[in-house]
Amino acid sequence: MTQRPLASLSPTDAMPRATEAPAARLSALRARLVTQASEIAPRKHLSFGVHAIDACLPGGGLGLGHLHEIAPEAEGDEPAALGFALALVARRLAEVPGEALLVLAKGHPMPYGHGLAGLGLDPDRLLLFEADSDLDAYRALEEALRTGAGPSSGGLAAVAGLVDAGLPLIQSRRLHLAGGRTDRLLLVLRPVGADSPNVAATRWRIATGKALRDRFGCIERPCWRVRLDRCRNGRMGDWLLEWDHAAHRFGLAGALAGHPPEAGSRGVRTEP
Amino acid sequence: MASGEATGLRLVAVDARARALGLRPGEPLARVRARLSTPLAVHPADPEADAAALERLCLWAKRYGPGVAAFGAAEGRDGLFLDSTGSSHLFGGEAGLVADLARRLAANGLPARIAVAGSPGCAFALARHGAGGVVAPGGEAKALSGLPVIALRIPQEMAADLGRLGLRRIGDLAEAPRAPLARRFGEILIRRLDQALGHRPDPLVALDELPAFGAARGFLDPIGHQAAIVATAKRLLAEIAPRLEAAGLGARVLHLTLHRVDGVIRTLSLGLSEPTRCPVQVGRLLDLRLDRLGPALDAGFGFETVRLDIVRTGPTAHLQGELAGGDRAGAGASGLADALRQRLGRGLLRLTPHQSHVPERAETAEPWRVNDVALRRPARITGRPRPLVLLTRGETAEDMLAPDGPPQLFRWRRRLHRITHADGPERIAGEWWSGPAPTRDYYVVEDEAGRRLWVYRQVQPPADPPSPEPAARVAPVVGWFVHGMFA
Repeated sequence: MTQRPLASLSPTDAMPRATEAPAARLSALRARLVTQASEIAPRKHLSFGVHAIDACLPGGGLGLGHLHEIAPEAEGDEPAALGFALALVARRLAEVPGEALLVLAKGHPMPYGHGLAGLGLDPDRLLLFEADSDLDAYRALEEALRTGAGPSSGGLAAVAGLVDAGLPLIQSRRLHLAGGRTDRLLLVLRPVGADSPNVAATRWRIATGKALRDRFGCIERPCWRVRLDRCRNGRMGDWLLEWDHAAHRFGLAGALAGHPPEAGSRGVRTEP
Repeated sequence: MASGEATGLRLVAVDARARALGLRPGEPLARVRARLSTPLAVHPADPEADAAALERLCLWAKRYGPGVAAFGAAEGRDGLFLDSTGSSHLFGGEAGLVADLARRLAANGLPARIAVAGSPGCAFALARHGAGGVVAPGGEAKALSGLPVIALRIPQEMAADLGRLGLRRIGDLAEAPRAPLARRFGEILIRRLDQALGHRPDPLVALDELPAFGAARGFLDPIGHQAAIVATAKRLLAEIAPRLEAAGLGARVLHLTLHRVDGVIRTLSLGLSEPTRCPVQVGRLLDLRLDRLGPALDAGFGFETVRLDIVRTGPTAHLQGELAGGDRAGAGASGLADALRQRLGRGLLRLTPHQSHVPERAETAEPWRVNDVALRRPARITGRPRPLVLLTRGETAEDMLAPDGPPQLFRWRRRLHRITHADGPERIAGEWWSGPAPTRDYYVVEDEAGRRLWVYRQVQPPADPPSPEPAARVAPVVGWFVHGMFA
């Protein structure tokens, strides 16, 4: 653990004198708490560019350095979940220079570079690591978060992992601690039906949706039903999202077509 | 050439014209001047320059084979041994090698006498005291028998003593009883004789190509803790670092040798993506490596000596060192690649495109390297859709219903896919120049749940009329296959 800047304060600042009024003392302690909290909180967010989603997320986007869990809604939705995760990575890479690391646990198929290019992700900026097991995959993710974790060091902009089983509590805590010091996008993609309690900031469930057609009736853009299942300090929601690979932009598919999306009935009703 | 000694200047080396005048090395210069009226060009001897020139010649001679050793003190430091084992055939046999070597040396103004024999001693004797040439295997004794005993690399005085005993030729010496000779002249005479005849090994000290960087530290109290080993390795690298920096090099591969108290030696090899001199970075990697080894390192009662060798080096760019201790080292992808390799034993991969239209051949995952110049990816050359996940081979789509072109209904992975939309076909012809190559028609299909798949129909290639061996050709599978999944 690095030394906190607080430690450099003089003892009189850190520990208010007893002769002061209790209110002043309390406010000093509050200020101290705020400094600590803001240090751990990520500096930046990755916004979706869609107001409806960003409004649900604390800080107006996915917290960088926080752990985000992505799961397919049902069996057969795995490519959609992978596509959603890689679209987020592509959006992050479009913002900053650097590379992205994708850690694959054993048995996961490798993404196809020519297909990645079609998703708007430059395959040359993607590093891959094949781990022998889930444990190794988590180790690799943690190592990637710790390597060169300075504030201005280049290198990795996003770290994503595909694991075989669920995201256990211990591993999620380790990742959360390792990621708290960086401004990297941290995603873990787990298979369907492996729910376990963990400390992920958000959990997304992705299902396939009917693709958007161009005016000739050909498939133009992928479309996903995105459900924000859990969101710390935020609200949940359900949307039908399309992905524009050229502009690296998400869009609400239903709003574009001028009629409420299939998932709209659930999307409007947002749980407090 | 002349050099000064206690008794005045003596000749050290003479050229061909001086030899014609009767001059010999070892003669006092004053006596030569008195004897001859010819003006002499005398230069002071420079042994250091001679040694440097000989080393350069040895390095050049490595073109004939890796084992090259310069003549040592016993041989007179004026020639070189070349181990041609396993490399002479590259030059057309031993005779070809000798001819090539002689031609190249002569072209550079270096007169040379070359001999090839089964033992270095025999080759030396033939080259310096005989006529050179190639000795057939087993012919050493015969080739040596007529040569003077001095050719055995023995001191001058010993040769003179042997001459007084009547043993002037090596042949006489080989026939003489060995025990009295050994008593009279010591073990060296017998050893040199045996080495020349090939009865005893005569190891050559081969010239090292790279300057070796290394440091070692011994401990009175053996160490066994991981932290202590890492700290020692860091300190050793910090010792080597100034030498590396002076040479403008960084370490690419390091060997850490741990000598255990009971004589067991453990060697750990560390590879780095980029040359480095930073002890902190290497220490961190070593820490990860020892983490992975865990109890497999087996320190036992401790290690008494730790040695760090830099096996491979690479040129480094000159970077401004930081006061904090080189925090920049090991940042970015190269640092991550090294750390993962040490901790998990695998390196990073990168998707590498290839020039091929066949989807499964158009890309492979290759090990990641620093400054990898990626092939320019034909980025959406056709604008044709490609799946996010490509199956390694097409999986059969069962119960296919495709009455007029695009598929409408099929079963794949135990699930019935009712197709509501299909884009295609996109015809991809096989690479007929590399084996049997069926043509495929690809469709992007979307089922009613919205899953998008890449399916293809494999069709029989047009039968080429004169097929040379029809049996050897693999019959292409005809049918429908699923080859990928879209996001």
